[in-house]
Amino acid sequence: MTSRSLFQRSCVLLGFIALSVYLFYIGKGHTLLIDTNAVTINGKELRSPETIEVSIDGKPAESMGRAERILILAGGPRHTITIEVLSGDDKKVEKQFTIPTFMDSAVVSVPAILGDAPPEFWVTTFTAPPVEEAPAEQMQHEQDAPEATTEISPNATAPGQQKP
Amino acid sequence: MSSKLRLFFIENAVVILFVVLIAFAIPVSGLPGTFLMQEILTRLGRNTFLVIALLLPIMAGMGLNFGMVLGAMAGQLGLIFITDWNIVGIPGLLLAMIISLPISVFLGWLCGSIMNLAKGREMVTGFILAFFMNGLYMMVVLYAMGSLIPIMNPELLLSRGYGIRNVIGLDGVRQSLDTLIPLKVAGLNIPVFSFLIIAAVSFFIIWFRKTKIGQDMRAAGQDRAVSGAAGIPVEQTRILAIIISTVLAGIGQIIFLQNLGTINTTSSHEQIGMFSIAALLIGGASVTKASIPNVIVGVILFHLLFLVSPMAGKNLIGSGMLGEYFRQFVSYGVIALALVLYEWKRVTQENDSRATLRGGGTPAAKEAKGGAA
Repeated sequence: MTSRSLFQRSCVLLGFIALSVYLFYIGKGHTLLIDTNAVTINGKELRSPETIEVSIDGKPAESMGRAERILILAGGPRHTITIEVLSGDDKKVEKQFTIPTFMDSAVVSVPAILGDAPPEFWVTTFTAPPVEEAPAEQMQHEQDAPEATTEISPNATAPGQQKP
Repeated sequence: MSSKLRLFFIENAVVILFVVLIAFAIPVSGLPGTFLMQEILTRLGRNTFLVIALLLPIMAGMGLNFGMVLGAMAGQLGLIFITDWNIVGIPGLLLAMIISLPISVFLGWLCGSIMNLAKGREMVTGFILAFFMNGLYMMVVLYAMGSLIPIMNPELLLSRGYGIRNVIGLDGVRQSLDTLIPLKVAGLNIPVFSFLIIAAVSFFIIWFRKTKIGQDMRAAGQDRAVSGAAGIPVEQTRILAIIISTVLAGIGQIIFLQNLGTINTTSSHEQIGMFSIAALLIGGASVTKASIPNVIVGVILFHLLFLVSPMAGKNLIGSGMLGEYFRQFVSYGVIALALVLYEWKRVTQENDSRATLRGGGTPAAKEAKGGAA
C-alpha cells in the first residue's frame, strides 16, 4: 500500500468516525417529561395555568392541566417548546432549550418557562422515586411469613432470610 | 407461433405463471384494491433494496448470493447498538449503517474468499456459510452482548443479565425513512424517500456496470479463464462483488427493519436471503442474468402472492394456512425450479458445443437438416 493510498484511507476512516460522533450527538434520544407542577425558584412560587396545550418540536400539541406530567420522546440536543395558555390570559409562548447529550430523562418545567425563570431552571434531570412494594406484593409477603408483625422486633428476619 | 413469441414465453415462463396465479388469486381473496396497492407500495419500499443487493454477484458469475444473510446480520448489529445508545430518527439509521459497514466488509471479504476456494459451487457455499455465521452471530448476540460487549440499556438484555432479548422494538427509528417526505396520493401513503434511495442504488448499479471494475466483473462472470488470461484479477473482482453485495444487504436489512419497527434478534435475518432470491427469480431473473426490472417485477409479484394467498386459501378451502403453506412452497419451489433450469440449460449448452466440435452441429441443427432432406 502506497503512502498516498494509506493517507486517503486514513482520511476516509477519520471522516466516518467524525460523522458517527456527529450523528450520535444530533440523534441522541431523550425522554422529556413535561411537568406542570408548581416550582419554587429563588423563594418565588411559580404555578402553571389551569389548562394549557404543549407541543415539542412542532409535534401535535397535547392538552395539560395543573400538576400533571406527560412523556414525550425527542431526539437531538435542541428543542422548541410551544405552550399555549387556554385558561385565563390567552398567550402563546415559544422557547428553545437544550438537553445535555447524556441526560436520558429530563423534566421540563412549564411554570418555570411561563414564569420567565432563568433557562437553567427549565430543564432538570429526572430521578426516579424509590421503588415501593405494591400492596399485592406486600400481601404475598405477609402470607409467606405469617409470623411477621408490623412492629420490628430484634429477632425478626427478612423474608427469604434463613434463621440461624 | 412465431419463434420470437415462443422464445418470449420460454424466457418469461416464471413471470407469466405468477401473473396468471395472482390474477386468479386476487378476486378469490376478496381483498380491496386500495389495500393491495398500499401494501405493495410499502413492501416495494421495504424489500427492493435487499433484492438489488443480489445483482452484482450474479453479474460476476457467482450466482445467487445466499451469503447476503451475513450482511443482514451486520445491519441488525448496527440496529441493536443504536437502540442501546438510544439514537433516534434518521441519524440513528445512518449511524446503524456506518456501524454495519465494517462488519459487512469483513464478512463479505470472508465470504468472497471462501467462495473463491469453491469456484463453481458458490451458491451452496454461501448457503452453508450463512448457517455457520448464524451460529457465530447467535454467540455474539446471546452471550457476548451484555457480558463482553457492554449494553447499557437493561431493557434490551435477557433476565439473566446478558444476551439480547428475542424481540426489540425500534421505536426511535420506526418508519423514519418512509415518513421523511410524506406524500399521500388518492389515500395511499407513498414512501417517497425509500423510493429515492432505491432509485439511487439502482442508478449506482447501472453506472457500476459501465465502469472498468463492472466490465471486469461481467468478463469474469462470462469466462474466468479468458478473463484471467486477459489480465483481469478475477479473484479480487469476485471478492469485491460479494463485499458490495454484503454491504448493500446490511443497509437493505436496516431499511427493511425500520419499516417493520421491530427486530426479531435471532431470526429476522434468516429468511431474508431466501425471500429476496425467490422475489428476484419470480421477476424473471436467472442464476446468470438479472436486472433492475427483474427486481421490481419480482418484488411486486412475490409480495402480491404473499398478500393474497392466505385469504384466497381461506376463501377456497376454509383454511388460511393453505395460503401460508403455498407461499412457503412457492418461495422454495421457485428457487429449486431456477436451479434446475440453470443446470438443464448448462448441460444442454455443453452437449451442443460438444456436438459442434465433433462437426455434427447441434442436435437442433441436425433435426433441421434431416427435416429438409
